[in-house]
Amino acid sequence: MKPIQFDYYAPTSVDEGLDKLTELGYDGKVLAGGQSLIAAMNFRMARPAALVDLNRIPELAYIKPTDDGGLAIGTMTRVRRVEQDAEVAKRFPLLREVAQFIGHAQVRTRGTFGGAIAHADPAGQLPAISMAMNANLLVCSKTGERWVNATDFIFGPFMTVLEPQEMLAEVVLPPNPPRTGSVYKQVSRQKGGYAQAAVIAIMTLDEAGACQNVRLVMMSVGETPIVSEKAVEILVGQKPSEQAFKAVAEAVVTGEIDPATDLHATADYRRQLVRVLVVRALTEACERASKGG
Amino acid sequence: MLIAKVLHSPVAHARIKNIDVSKAKSLPGVAAVLTYKDLPRVVYATAGQSDPMPGPLDTFSLDNKVRFVGDRVAFVAAETEEIANQALKLINVEYEELPFIIDPRSSMSDGAVKIHDEPEYVVHDLSDPNKNVAAAIRIDIGDLDNGFSEADQIIEAEYKVPKVHQAHIEPHVSISYWDENDRLVIRTSTQVPFHVRRILAPVLGLPMKRIRVIKPRIGGGFGSKQEVLIEDVVAHLTIATKRPVRYEYTREEEFIAARSRHPMIIKLKTGVKNDGTITANEMYALSDTGAYGCHALTVTGNTGHKAMALYTGDGKYRKAPNIRFYADIVYTNTPPSGAYRGYGAPQGFWAVERHMETIAAKLGMDPIQFRLKNCLRAGEIHPFSIAWSEGREPKPEYIQTIGIEQCVHQGKSAIGWDQKYGKQEWRDSTDKPYLKRGIGMALMMHGTAIAYLDMGGASIKMNEDGSFNLLVGATDLGTGSDTVLTQMAAEVLGVPVDDFIVYSSDTDFTPFDKGAYASSTTYISGAATTHAAAKVAERIRVRAAMILNDRTDGAPVKPDEIILKDRRAHASDGRAVTYSEIGHHSLHHKDQEQIMAVASYVSPVSPPPFAAQFAEIVMDIETGQVKVEKLVMAVDAGRIVNPVTASGQIEGGMTQALGYAVCEEMTYDDKGAPVERDLVDYHIFRADEMPELETIFVETFESSHPFGVKAVAEIPLDGVAPAVANAIYNASGAMLYENPATPDRVWKALQKQKIN
Repeated sequence: MKPIQFDYYAPTSVDEGLDKLTELGYDGKVLAGGQSLIAAMNFRMARPAALVDLNRIPELAYIKPTDDGGLAIGTMTRVRRVEQDAEVAKRFPLLREVAQFIGHAQVRTRGTFGGAIAHADPAGQLPAISMAMNANLLVCSKTGERWVNATDFIFGPFMTVLEPQEMLAEVVLPPNPPRTGSVYKQVSRQKGGYAQAAVIAIMTLDEAGACQNVRLVMMSVGETPIVSEKAVEILVGQKPSEQAFKAVAEAVVTGEIDPATDLHATADYRRQLVRVLVVRALTEACERASKGG
Repeated sequence: MLIAKVLHSPVAHARIKNIDVSKAKSLPGVAAVLTYKDLPRVVYATAGQSDPMPGPLDTFSLDNKVRFVGDRVAFVAAETEEIANQALKLINVEYEELPFIIDPRSSMSDGAVKIHDEPEYVVHDLSDPNKNVAAAIRIDIGDLDNGFSEADQIIEAEYKVPKVHQAHIEPHVSISYWDENDRLVIRTSTQVPFHVRRILAPVLGLPMKRIRVIKPRIGGGFGSKQEVLIEDVVAHLTIATKRPVRYEYTREEEFIAARSRHPMIIKLKTGVKNDGTITANEMYALSDTGAYGCHALTVTGNTGHKAMALYTGDGKYRKAPNIRFYADIVYTNTPPSGAYRGYGAPQGFWAVERHMETIAAKLGMDPIQFRLKNCLRAGEIHPFSIAWSEGREPKPEYIQTIGIEQCVHQGKSAIGWDQKYGKQEWRDSTDKPYLKRGIGMALMMHGTAIAYLDMGGASIKMNEDGSFNLLVGATDLGTGSDTVLTQMAAEVLGVPVDDFIVYSSDTDFTPFDKGAYASSTTYISGAATTHAAAKVAERIRVRAAMILNDRTDGAPVKPDEIILKDRRAHASDGRAVTYSEIGHHSLHHKDQEQIMAVASYVSPVSPPPFAAQFAEIVMDIETGQVKVEKLVMAVDAGRIVNPVTASGQIEGGMTQALGYAVCEEMTYDDKGAPVERDLVDYHIFRADEMPELETIFVETFESSHPFGVKAVAEIPLDGVAPAVANAIYNASGAMLYENPATPDRVWKALQKQKIN
């Protein structure tokens, strides 16, 4: 199918873009890489009256190291660039690992880092990753800017706190402390396909080898990515063990996720996947952390 | 040219109470809107099969009733596709919804709604529309009860196979127009142009001689185009508008309103002696034909005819096997099943080859030894040949060539069976404790054409320059049959294939051929072509002798001592005449004649190809994910005419069969609406996902054919799914009774395995 009729604007600066978004209000929709939005429009599931295309604003695409050892990534940075960037590989090897699961090379070449987060697809990797990495998001509008933590940014499937006149401008990833290991585990029906379930584990060990901090995020098993509180409760301050990881998996499966049955998998099978993937992800994250991350 | 569109039913079962097309008709650019009220009510069957139709007549071009979500409600022809689609939306239909049946297990229940209550319904053999039975099969060979009484153990199980889709690249597409002689021309992407003409004539109310069907180059069919599926739509609209009309299915229409593989529930009961001798083998198949009975009898007949024929038993049972094959092919309110490459055999072999694995395990026997002990041998009779022939008179067929032991031997060696099967260190030789390797196999047999029924014709005409026109009715649907048939003719006539201008297939210009199905073209149409070439060769020898004897520069030459080679006719004394000389001489110079011959062929036998399929997998025993790492298929398809196209058939077939094994499945919601409607949700294997494939041809010479060939086209669909499931059993002990082996299903089987 083809999309319904829509107006199209291509601002060449952030200010011009924000002007346009303010003017359009609820009729406007930001076009970034278009890898989800255009498909949704072609199926007529999305029917924006106007698109504001950010692709002509070069200043929105960058990867900059931050002073504290983290990274700031401009919203229009292509996923492929993040995947191939040497600084990203050094500071956040997880990003390179996860990028390979995002669609195919063509999709990543066009798709943007910020666009994927703002789209807030519950089956998308980057919204989940931003939550797992505790990212801070810079949200701009004509009247000012505000910082929102990734966990507060997404509140439902395809739903974020972005107001129609706002755009997501930058994603700031705080640095990993020493002895941090991170892992992404996904199961899908086929290569490049939707995740039936996925788990992200980021674990930091203290000098004595106990768990100092852990972030465990589940994806495709609820309306949004799910950050586990049980993992923190069970693991922090404890020596990591297979038994503890299994306890986390059980707690997550019984109390924290709410998988649905759909074309891709049954709810029961998704629970089993989470049960298995949580243990595997935590085990591997712990191994990596103990090797220095 | 007008563009046609069809309004498809949104409900599974309903009578059309009222249909108002006035708004659609008045839309500018709409040339015609047709409903059941506009067409003569002619009952027919859409299956592209020879006369008489081996199945019930239960279909109308348009009816006052719809029987599945996707069934036809109205036809539209308009100036553009957009206008046609718009017109569909303007048709107002009031449906009187009826109870509907999705699960074939409830089709024959007392009080079930009758899907076919039309008075015009024409019963075939055991079909009974009052019980929603499109066809039924009752075949008894030997004495089953006696066979069971002689068994030490009786093993029973129930198996289930899904509906799957052919997924040919080119969708169904047809164009029709009136030509300058007031004849209706239909250009269509079909496997069966001659059946299209025969079947459509009464439906359109035209004498057959006023219809011409042309098959251009087509982009695949896999059985889906052995169906008169959309030609009637364009034809009715051309008749209504007097204008050319084109209709092309969308990919979604291919999923909701075409044909697919019959899903079946299969029960097997097998008696064995403790030494591994099968004493009796019984299959019952409940086959779901969907809303119409196209191919209902013959597909399910093939399930038994192929899969239940392979294992007759050992010893005295070889001469007197005890086999029963019963089947009920029932209507449901789902899209019709039909012909799909393999034609019933993949369903049968899934069940039989899983069952054989189970029995071997129960007996503690090597699964390959157990199979070979009981399987057919050369010189034995095809057990079904004396019991059943799709309702025609059965005539005995003896197996001449059977390379199955060599297939097993070479296949085992290629996949490294002896180093892997039953070796725990190999099974566990992965980097993760939850990953296990497994290896499995299956044997299979198929058929080559339908004996005493399938006919192909070919004609060859010689031109002045020594080139030839080969006209064949055989339908190249992307299989390369044009090439292979030309190779055979070129071999007989001693010329390169480039000297042939081949044309297939056009009901006005080429001889009849029943079409591309039943693994028959290389064998049947190939024999016809070879015989036509032999007749032409005979005339070339006569003309060459005439020329040489007129020259008087040597001893007199007799035609039968002339050898045809390198575009020349060679006498034994070394003199030769070129084909160009012979061509000019025959057409212009002396005792002028057109060197031309036509031949046709129908076979008294259907020699089965045999094969051994091997699969190697690695699986995750915690998540149930299965990755197929390697497929090896060793095939006895007689002599191979063209190794490139033949191995292409095997590789392509294994690719489709792998989807049947692990991921392909068409499902319906509780209202009967198809869930999968595109190639995103319905996943077929992509090139970059394929495991390593290896094809081995074990060549035998089938003496019933001039070049010794048997079929190769369908057998690769038969064995991959059971071989993969057997490999899963080998890796993990998990027993699958239902395919495809999706992770969810494998995980459930693993849970069961743990409990047991």
